[in-house]
Formats: sequence, C-alpha cells, structure tokens
Amino acid sequence: MNWIRMLLVTGLLWTSAVWADPPSGYPFVSFDAGLKAARASGKPIFLYFGRYGCAWCDHTNKKTFSDASLKALYSDNYELVYVDAESGRRLTLPSGERITEAELGVRLQAFATPLFVYLTPQGDKIVQIPGFKTVQDFRDYDRYVRGGYYKNKTLLEFLGGKS
Amino acid sequence: MALLLLALTGPAHAAWTWGEALTVNSAQGPAIFPHLESANRQNVAVSGDTVGVVWEDNRDGSPQCYLATKPETAGTFQPEIRLSQSECFEPVVVALGAGRFAAAWEEAGKVRAQVLPGGTAINLSEIESSQVTLAFGAGKLYAAWAEQAGRFRRIVVARLETDSGAPAISFAQPVEARDPTDGQSWPALAVAGNGSMTVAWEDRRERHTVPMVSHSRDGRDFAPPTQLTDLKNGGGTGSALGLGAGTGAMRPTLTAWGGQGAAAAWLDKRDFLSGYDVYAALDDGTHRFGRNIQVQDSFGDNMAQWHAKIVGDNSGRLLALWDDARDGTPDVWLSVWNGTAFGDDVAVPSASGPGLQTDPSATLDSTGRLHLVWLDRGDPQSATRIRYVRGDWR
Repeated sequence: MNWIRMLLVTGLLWTSAVWADPPSGYPFVSFDAGLKAARASGKPIFLYFGRYGCAWCDHTNKKTFSDASLKALYSDNYELVYVDAESGRRLTLPSGERITEAELGVRLQAFATPLFVYLTPQGDKIVQIPGFKTVQDFRDYDRYVRGGYYKNKTLLEFLGGKS
Repeated sequence: MALLLLALTGPAHAAWTWGEALTVNSAQGPAIFPHLESANRQNVAVSGDTVGVVWEDNRDGSPQCYLATKPETAGTFQPEIRLSQSECFEPVVVALGAGRFAAAWEEAGKVRAQVLPGGTAINLSEIESSQVTLAFGAGKLYAAWAEQAGRFRRIVVARLETDSGAPAISFAQPVEARDPTDGQSWPALAVAGNGSMTVAWEDRRERHTVPMVSHSRDGRDFAPPTQLTDLKNGGGTGSALGLGAGTGAMRPTLTAWGGQGAAAAWLDKRDFLSGYDVYAALDDGTHRFGRNIQVQDSFGDNMAQWHAKIVGDNSGRLLALWDDARDGTPDVWLSVWNGTAFGDDVAVPSASGPGLQTDPSATLDSTGRLHLVWLDRGDPQSATRIRYVRGDWR
C-alpha cells in the first residue's frame, strides 16, 4: 500500500504545482476522487476551496495548516479535497451533474477564499466557513462535524456553548 | 427647440422592450443538467433570420452538445440536433450569414468545429485541447482554444475557411511561440471591421489568474500580450506582505465594438470581500485597452457576480450581462454603455424573479436587437430550462 500512497502523493504534488496551491504535505485530492474515497471509507469530506495566488489561503497554509497535529487530525479523519476557485477542471456532483471547479463556487455562493466546506461521506453539505481560521478553530469544527453536533445545532450555537 | 430637447433627452428615455420568452431545450427533467458554459460565453447567434443556440446536457447518459434553431419570427424552436458522438463540453456558435452557422466544441478531449446546417465536423487539433471559441467578422472566421503544450495549456489561434461542407484550417499557431510557464485557458476572440483580431485569455504566468490580451492584424503575428487588468503588483495587499501572488480575475469575454475597436468584460476579485465583480475595458481602435471600469452599479456592490458576458456591435452598441442574487435569488442583469459609463443595472423581466435565472449568453443581431439565452430553474432541485428572449433598446 505504501507505494500506492507514494504514487498518490507524488501525483498530488505535481497536480498542485500545475493547478493551485493547497497546503503542502496534506493528501488533498480532486473532488471526484475525494467523494469516491469518502463513500468507501465513511469519512467526512473536508473541502478546501482555494484560489491560485490567494493571500488569505497562503496565510492559512503558513499559519494554520503548518501545524503537525492539525495535519495528522485532518489527514487521518477526513477525505481531503482541494478545489481551485477559478479552474475549468470538471467534477461530478452527487446529483450526477458535471460542472467545473469554478462553477462549484457559484453553487456554494462563495464570496471569498479560502472557503472551507465540510461534507458528509455522501457529499451533502454540513457547514461552510469562509476566511482565515486558526488551528483551534479547525479543532472546534472537527468536534462539531465528527461529534455529530451539526445534526441538531448550528455551528454558531455549538461554538457559543463551547467552554 | 423641441427637436433639440427630444434629441438631448432621447437616450435617457431609451428603454428595453422584450418579446415573449421561449424554451429552447426539448428534453428536461430533474436529472438532466443543461449547461450554457463556453469560452467567451458564446451560446447564441443570429444568422440571417435564423436564431441558433448551442448547449451541453446529459439527457443521453453522458454530456453531449446540441444545437437548436428557429426562424426569428417563429414562436418555437425546432427540435435540437446533437452535434457530438462522444463526451462533449462547452460548445460555441457564431453566425456566418444567410442562415449559416459555425459551431465548435470539445469532444473526447479535442476541439472540433462544424459548419451548419449540414456540414461535417473536423478536429481543429490532434493534441489534447479544450475551451474552444469562434469569432467571425470582415468575412474571416477564427477559432481559438487551449492546447496542451508540455505541462500546461497554451492559447492557439486558427483561421478557418468555410467554403466547402467542412471547415478547413488555413493556419493555426500559438499566440506565443515559447512554451507556457503556467496555465492558459478560456480564450475569447473578437474580429474588428477591418479584419484585425483581438484575443484574450486567462493566464497564470504571474502565479495568479489574470486576463491577458493580444492583438493581430492578420491572425498570424501577435503583439506581445499585456494584462487586461490595471492593478499594480498583482493587486491587493497580500503580495506586498509575501502572501499570495495577487487577486484573481477570470473568464474574459470579448466583442468587436464600434467598427475598429473591441471591448472586454470579465469577473474580477479585486474586492476580496464581496465576491467577483464585473469589470470591463475598452479599446476604441488603438489596439490598447483603457482603464478598468466597474460594470455593475452600487446595488450590486456587496454581491458576487457570475457569468459575465460583453456584447457589442460595429455601430457602437455595447452592454454587459451577468447574474447575481441581489434580490434574493439569482437573476440575469444587464448594463448598457452610455458613452462614458455603464448605466444602471436592469433585471431582464423574463430572467428575474422567483427561482434561479443564471448563465446568460447573448448576441446583437444586424439591426441591434439583443438575443439572450439563460438557464432557468424553479429551485435547485427542479428541471432546468434553457430560455430565450429578444430585446429592443429604443
């Protein structure tokens, strides 16, 4: 299995160099690959909607995603998907509709990048969060998603009740 | 005196009158997804007295491209014909005159073109390619597409001859001879009245997405590309802080305008908190685009705009279209260039209101009437219709 992982990471690095700039060292994959993997693994999807050259994405990558424990938390527990806000690359929505990565931004009503979207393993949206976030923020979002709190609380309600 | 007052106040009283909106696509259903997406957003054309509309949908189990036509005076579109055999994306159509059209699309990873009605489709490139667009003017038909060149794609422009049943390539060459250093995509073309040609495209050589433009008198020799955007150092404050390379600007569209000139519009992220805005730039025939102009009015400032399209003609008419959700749901908006600025935004009546009205594509016919198509859904789960309407500005 190790060589498969190596191959995926190598391919990912090449792909990211071509198309966009997800945080380095994370096993981000395309939307279709992530959705397929999530359906197989049962893990939720963490979708990073970034833009090539985006300052706040770069800031988030450097300040937040550089944290080794966060990398382990998200790499182990999520299928990581990177979508380039301006790309013409195609993806297939759970409905079967094929659209471009840029068009996904229209469907998400994205107004800023980075935009972080948590999805169920079936691809249904749980919550989406725009802008720079800290390591602790992502830990809170992880508890909200994997703890299942999203089923009966909004994120704001959940965060308001945080001790 | 009365005539003088009438002349002075005339433009202020000009208004749109719209015909009856028609449905273009005959196959609809909750799992059928038509798309009006293409390089230069070129999905409708008027040739003689025939209106042609192209799109992609998955009614046959895979994405395929279709063309529907109607006589301009007819109240319905004729049943569409399928243009493709394999997976097809992002078709475009232009008018060749006298009821003839040229269409182009991506099929099985390569770009193809066909003269209609009745012609034979040919590959425009044998190399992996996509996002083809067409422009016809001064008797010349040009195509442009994004073609694989090493790690990245670059923009290739071709001159096509259409005298026989199948288009023939007179010549095809990249806008820049050197290999691209990052991605180039989504070309747009405009042919001026004197036959000179402008090409714009998305370009990532500066490590962020910037629309670039080049001009050619003959389609062979291109001027060195310049940026359409007038932001310094990538725009925004991030690059000065060593964060990111700059703001994003995508999906440039072009139109011939005013005889010798061209106009461009694109989606621009320079205001990073409010989504993409529609920006435009004008070339009055000098082959240099002027300052960037924000198109949408202040009521759309805090709202993301999508699917921008510029439409003009040789008489100097110019307008931009897009969709945004400032009234709660996405509507199709347009703004007319008044000579000094883009005017107040106008919601197209049949393409606004409850439900989702998105993805406008449009053209002006030889008499200056606007022909508009868009996607219409009652809600995100319902069937999508392609709608058409004709508008007069007088």
